[in-house]
Amino acid sequence: MKNSKLTLLAVALAATFAAGSALADGNTITLGAAVQLTGALANTGRYYRDSYNFAIEQINAKGGVKVGGKQMKLSLKLLDNQSDVNLGVRQYVQLLTQDKVNFLLGPFSSNDALDDSSVAEKYQVPMVQGGGASGQIFARGYKYIFGTLPPAGDYYASTLEMLKELKPKAKTVALIAADDSFDVAVAKGTRKLVTAAGLQLVVDSQYSEHNSDFSSLLSLTKSKHPDAILWSGHEPEALNFIRQAKSLAVSPTLMYSFTVGVPTADFRKALGKDAEYAFGMTPWLPNAALKDEWFGDAAAFAKQYQQKFGYAPDYHAASGVADVEAYAKAIEAAGSLDPAKVRDALAKVDFNSLYGRVKFAANGQIAMPQTVIQIQDGQVVPIYSDKFLNKPRYPLPAWTKR
Amino acid sequence: MELFAQIVVNGMLLGGLYGLMALGMGLVWGVLNIVNLAHGALIMLGGYAVYYLYTGAGIDPFAALPIAMLALFCFGFVLQKLLLNLIVRSALLNTLLITFGLDVVFTYLAQLAFSADFRTINPPYAGNNFSFVGLTIPVGRLAAFAVALLLAGLLWLFLERTRTGRAIRATAQNLTAARLYGVNPKTIYALTFGIGAALAGAAGGLYGVVGQITPYIGVTLTAKSFVIAILGGLDKPLGVIAGGIALGVAEALTALYIGPTYTDVIGFGLLVLVLVSRPAQIFERA
Amino acid sequence: MKNIVTVAALVALVAALGAVPWLGSAPIVQFGINALLVATLAQGWNIIGGYTGYASFGNSVFYGLGTYGTAIAMANYHLPFGVGLVCGAVLGVACALLFGLPILRLRGPYFAIATLGLSAVMGALVSNLDIAGRNIGLILPLFRGDELFYELALGLLVLATLTVFWVSRSRFGAGLVAIRENEDAAAVMGINTTLYKVLALALAGFFSALAGGIHAYWITFIDPSSAFDSTLNVKMVIMAVFGGPGTVFGPVIGAFLLSGISELLASNVSTVASLFYGLVIVLAVVFMPKGLVDMGGGVRRLGWKYFIQNIRQNRL
Repeated sequence: MKNSKLTLLAVALAATFAAGSALADGNTITLGAAVQLTGALANTGRYYRDSYNFAIEQINAKGGVKVGGKQMKLSLKLLDNQSDVNLGVRQYVQLLTQDKVNFLLGPFSSNDALDDSSVAEKYQVPMVQGGGASGQIFARGYKYIFGTLPPAGDYYASTLEMLKELKPKAKTVALIAADDSFDVAVAKGTRKLVTAAGLQLVVDSQYSEHNSDFSSLLSLTKSKHPDAILWSGHEPEALNFIRQAKSLAVSPTLMYSFTVGVPTADFRKALGKDAEYAFGMTPWLPNAALKDEWFGDAAAFAKQYQQKFGYAPDYHAASGVADVEAYAKAIEAAGSLDPAKVRDALAKVDFNSLYGRVKFAANGQIAMPQTVIQIQDGQVVPIYSDKFLNKPRYPLPAWTKR
Repeated sequence: MELFAQIVVNGMLLGGLYGLMALGMGLVWGVLNIVNLAHGALIMLGGYAVYYLYTGAGIDPFAALPIAMLALFCFGFVLQKLLLNLIVRSALLNTLLITFGLDVVFTYLAQLAFSADFRTINPPYAGNNFSFVGLTIPVGRLAAFAVALLLAGLLWLFLERTRTGRAIRATAQNLTAARLYGVNPKTIYALTFGIGAALAGAAGGLYGVVGQITPYIGVTLTAKSFVIAILGGLDKPLGVIAGGIALGVAEALTALYIGPTYTDVIGFGLLVLVLVSRPAQIFERA
Repeated sequence: MKNIVTVAALVALVAALGAVPWLGSAPIVQFGINALLVATLAQGWNIIGGYTGYASFGNSVFYGLGTYGTAIAMANYHLPFGVGLVCGAVLGVACALLFGLPILRLRGPYFAIATLGLSAVMGALVSNLDIAGRNIGLILPLFRGDELFYELALGLLVLATLTVFWVSRSRFGAGLVAIRENEDAAAVMGINTTLYKVLALALAGFFSALAGGIHAYWITFIDPSSAFDSTLNVKMVIMAVFGGPGTVFGPVIGAFLLSGISELLASNVSTVASLFYGLVIVLAVVFMPKGLVDMGGGVRRLGWKYFIQNIRQNRL
């Protein structure tokens, strides 16, 4: 009996220790990432899958990356972390140790980026991620993590600037944010911005990211009659919030703004007419003025992306492209594939791309202004960056009058 | 004061829907002694059924409910007859395990079939509301609440007043005795599970109107159904609805007075408290 | 004679496992740490679920408390790892003692649900505590050296298995089995059932908490949903049941095999892995509800008829 058990044990161990490893081709630079392709965050994860692939394809088509004297191609090893943070961490370790990728690209979401970047730091291989904006990711003194999303705490800066210039002037603000890394960072920064702008915070509430019922929060907010509602959370919750606000007849006096959802096509589609008047922000718009070495410009990129993948890109996709391009630039500048050298080159990159100017601050995070946008007639209209670009629809009419 | 009343009403309306979610789970647990960890997945499937009936065939969600319920009933009936009947007499732990496995399979297949995108069932009247003694009553939630009460009432009538219903209750009390009276347990079990699945399907359709559907909503909804089924006394429909309403109100009040991040503490805390403080006899089963 | 040979074989096996970090590649070590930790969880469950018959579906509460105990000690108070582990273990055992008393009065599925509820409450509570970093969690100091975690995890599993071995041979263990078979009769026979049950739960809590602490320092970053991970509950139960509950090696075998299959599928055919996992569970419950260990003997005795017999015994 014991013998068969021991044999079982040994067999189990042996079976699991049989591992094949992918050998790196001498002419390929492999970028590895574990992204949410299935699971709760897959809706946004796909932007990264498609943008990474597209960028690599485009760079290879134009000759690839020059390393020292040699032209090399880029390739992508992508794993599905199933929106499970723990699995993602293990997959990044596998990418480095088993698949022996050269460099790492990031996942979506600050929580995942926070976790996965520890792997990069541990193994001292750079990771450039375009999915996590929380300052926490960059506050640990790590040297091997870079990010192309601007700091979460500043997301509402341009919105509050804009509010100062709009009439009637907003006086009271309701701040509603989820309790995960990104949203807590947004809330922290926004509180300071609101006080600095001389506005009064009448509601300052945090909701659980696992909970999608806002009835109590909405009823509370209604009773305080805020001029503006500033909201931060995930897309599905933003959707719920707006629908539930309508069903409870809750509407701020002047405007409301969301950190997610507004730039995304299926958000607007799901809400239909109820999406109107919502403000949001984006660090990127498909503007032809944003020139790019490989894609021409941002407008051309957006068109090709839509044609290729069947849906319109938003800043997540552009950010993903910027990550790959940053590697191309850094590897060429370093003239080698040595992780430490490429890391130093990444710290120094400064170039223009379809995403905008790619340059990392000392802590590894990019700095970029957010353009305030608004949904008007189902379209995303840029309203304000440091001056008015278009006329906003303001103030917000009550639900019954829309 | 008005805020308090509004919060209570919010909680009640949502709670009714919660109760409907738990009805099916409680019934199956009470009668078949199967703790169905895939219950949330059935709710999710019902939601998708109504979604596709609404967006594909243009049927109003509330009219589509009976169709979805029938579909889920057949699904549940077959599932019980062909698979679950095979393990009914093994340890309760095994029912937990097998339904967990089924939940994994259903979620995966749903994600394959429907993609991970979130769906909403958004009929034009869903956002409407009306005023009543100074409170705002959302039409969508009120309708969902009404349907939940109706279905609970129908279930109660079915179990109390019809022959089949009484046969189901007899089987729950004492399988052997029921057999002696001519009850065919295989069919009764399959029927019961089918009804449980149908109720889950209805809850899913309504959930799609007030919230949104993804393949992954199953786990949270199963957990909630647990809490309410136990609070309500498993296969007592009126008790389960009451339990759902109680939980809904408790969560709403917690969100207002303590903080929205504490609702799970209250929900599960209530569960543990109720389990620990209720006298043991109530949980004895023949 | 047979005993000495078995013991020698086991020692050799442990030594071989211990040498893996230097013989195998880094991903093997990663997989190994995870498999060893989850095997420890399965063994812990085995004591309360397998031997005592109280199937807990919430042992993740001890794992989570161990995780947070270690993390808070290290991240907030900058204490060394060893102290952190002790803090985690203390939290886990304290929870078992404190909540064990009321919850262990429940039987069967109600006990299972209560433990599930307890784990959920604890997770929700922790996500509201500032000292625990609320819902964002905590970041531990970075440590480069997976060999340490591997050896610690291996040592913990060996300790847990030795404990289960002791339980299986001791009066305490016999008492647990008596409780499982017929609790009322056991009480009548003079066994202090409350004491025994609480001790069993405390043992499970102890090992689960330590596993959590090791995991925390290894991963460097913890948050409520990963610390009180509810999927762990079902995983550890399935592994223990698949391997053979109430046996000394069953949970270990079950854990390694299922981890291995899952890992193989996850790395090669990513998403199909979860489908396969689910199907394995369904088929296992139908055809071999008493676990692998029993299947080994059963198939030897009856061949294929073993599986048919299982169905016949358990179907309606």
